[in-house]
This record gives sequence, C-alpha cells and structure tokens, in this order.
Amino acid sequence: MAYHNQYRPPHYNSAPPDQAFLWNIFQRVDKDRSGSISDTELQQALSNGTWTPFNPVTVRSIIAMFDRDNKGGVNFNEFAGVWKYITDWQNIFRTYDRDNSGFIDKNELKQALTGFGYRLSDQFYNTLIEKFDRQRKGQVAFDDFIQCCIVLQRLTDVFRRYDTDQDGWIQVSYEQYLSMVFNIV
Amino acid sequence: MSFPGYGAPAGGYAGGFPGGFPGQQQDPLFGYFSAIAGQDGQISAEELQVCLTQANFSGGYKPFNLETCRLMIGMLDRDMSGTMGFPEFKELWAVINGWKQHFMSIDKDRSGTVDPQEMHQAVSSMGYRLSPQAMNCIVKRYSTQGKITFDDYVACCVKLRALTDIFRRRDQGQNGTASFQYDDFIQCTMST
Repeated sequence: MAYHNQYRPPHYNSAPPDQAFLWNIFQRVDKDRSGSISDTELQQALSNGTWTPFNPVTVRSIIAMFDRDNKGGVNFNEFAGVWKYITDWQNIFRTYDRDNSGFIDKNELKQALTGFGYRLSDQFYNTLIEKFDRQRKGQVAFDDFIQCCIVLQRLTDVFRRYDTDQDGWIQVSYEQYLSMVFNIV
Repeated sequence: MSFPGYGAPAGGYAGGFPGGFPGQQQDPLFGYFSAIAGQDGQISAEELQVCLTQANFSGGYKPFNLETCRLMIGMLDRDMSGTMGFPEFKELWAVINGWKQHFMSIDKDRSGTVDPQEMHQAVSSMGYRLSPQAMNCIVKRYSTQGKITFDDYVACCVKLRALTDIFRRRDQGQNGTASFQYDDFIQCTMST
C-alpha cells in the first residue's frame, strides 16, 4: 500500500442540475415538509439498484457531510451538494460496473480504488469485500461502495494528520487511537 | 484494561421455545438454535437479527440492528465463516444476556435507552479508563437523538473490545503507546 498516493474525492464533471429540477426533487423527498431532509427521508428516496434498502450508515455519513449546523438533516441549499455528491459517485460506479449488474466485484473494486490512487494488497481487497458486502454476494453494491470509499478516505485522512513527518508511521496513545477510529469504523 | 462485560454470567434463556429431539440434545437452547439456523445448522447475521428481534432485545419490537449482529458474529467467529454454529451461539446468548442485564441496570428509568451520562458510567464500570473527551467521542458515535439503544450499546461494547485488542497487540512495551504503519493501520482498523 502506498501511503503518498492521495485519495481524490470524485470530481466527475456532471453539469449542475437546474434549481427548479432540484426543488422538485427536494419537495418530493422531504415527506414531512419540514424544509429539511432527514436520514430516513433520504434513505427512502435513494436506490442502490438492487431493491434492498439503501445502506443507512451511508445515508448518515452523507447527511453528516453536508449538514453544516448539525441539525440532523439537510436543507435545500445543502441538498444540492448531496445530489451532486451522489450523482458523481453513481457515474464513477457505472464506469467500473462494466457488466451493469449493479454490483462491482473484487477486480472492479481493485480498478476503482487503484484509479483513486490507493495501492492495496490483494488480500486486503478480500477484507474490503467481506466488510462492505452487506448482501453477501461476494460483490459490493452501489451504497456499500460509497461507504467503502468514505471509510478508506477518512482513515487515510486521520492517519495523515498524525503522521506529521510523513514517513508512513504513527505513534499514538490508546485514547488517541480510539478517538481517531471510533467515529469512522 | 479488562473487559468483564464479555465474560458476564449467563442470564439463562427463559423463553418457551421447546425443541430438539428428546434424549438427543439436553441443552434447552439447542432446539431454539436449530429453529433459527435452519437446514445448514449455522446462524448468519440475518438469522441472528430475526432471532434477537423476536426475543425483543432491542425493545419495542424494533428490528435489532443488523450491523450489530455482524459485529457479534465476527467477534465469536473463529473459523471466519461469517456464521455461527451452536457452541458459538450458546456463548453469544450468555454474553448478550449479560449485556442486557448490565444495560438494564444502567437504564434506571427503564426507558429502553440510556443517556450519554449513564453510558459514561457503564463504560467505566467495564474497566475502561478513558478521558471525558475520548468517552464523548465514543458515546456520540452510538447515540441517536441523545439516547443509546441496546443494540447500539452492544455494538459499542464489541467495537471497544476489538479496538482495544488491536491496540494492545501493538503496544509492545505495555506503556499505552503503539506504533502503526499505514497499511497495518488501515487493515486492522477496517477488519474490526
């Protein structure tokens, strides 16, 4: 695994959707008309393409990413970010899901993560599949793929923060370790 | 740091699921196990979820958190099959009853959830010595609307134990600091 290869969040250049279109979607997703989309509302609106409920952990991560004032949901302005984020991931996922099965297998996952700059051992891909394959198919669905990338990125970020001399090693105390990883895994 | 929660005494299974063939299996839990496990004789995370939901461990007949079921199976899964045989199930049943008792003893108002303050006390009483900051970080991760449900409490216990084990194995001098290389850090942390 090469540490210096940075993870790049998806910048897939999708054109920004127009406001009226987004507003329309926002209103449909915001079932209780509270002006803010909660975890549950977003989860119900999302599809992973396999007729199973969208990974609630992924939904929570995405909401937390865009929910600036910690209100437990996203308002219309923040929703634009959520929309773009998910569409970008969807485009990336489609690029790697060559057979359009709705799942990416170990090889496709390897290509995707290698494309992001990760250098991971072959055995580790087994661990990743094992951990993120919620449907036990030996492959990863769209929502679980996003989750996998989010977790990898966060762990790498938190590691880098402690690796001040950039040598790929960190020394941490027990509490530091717990605080570093508890919010991620 | 010990983890007494794991070796907690069995609460015993007091539920009416008679089963098993008389004389063949004396263990009253076996009938229950085979009813859940089905033909393959192994319990998967999904089957465990059904079982724990029916036993109403999460309270209010809400579905028991599937992620927690995965964590629990992972904790006891020695052959790394992702499923549990009877001996593991029996062990888990004892552990989870211990946890339930512990949970109920902290849940003073019997609301089925504990607040962060109660959770702090619970974690300390398991033998973990953590600063308020570290404790906050952990509790926050497992609370929904300021409350911790039983399944989240279990997930927190399992996670805390696994991460402590990882750390301890790398803390060569037993002095509370450990070194991690990037690959190792990502892999071991992800594998919990």
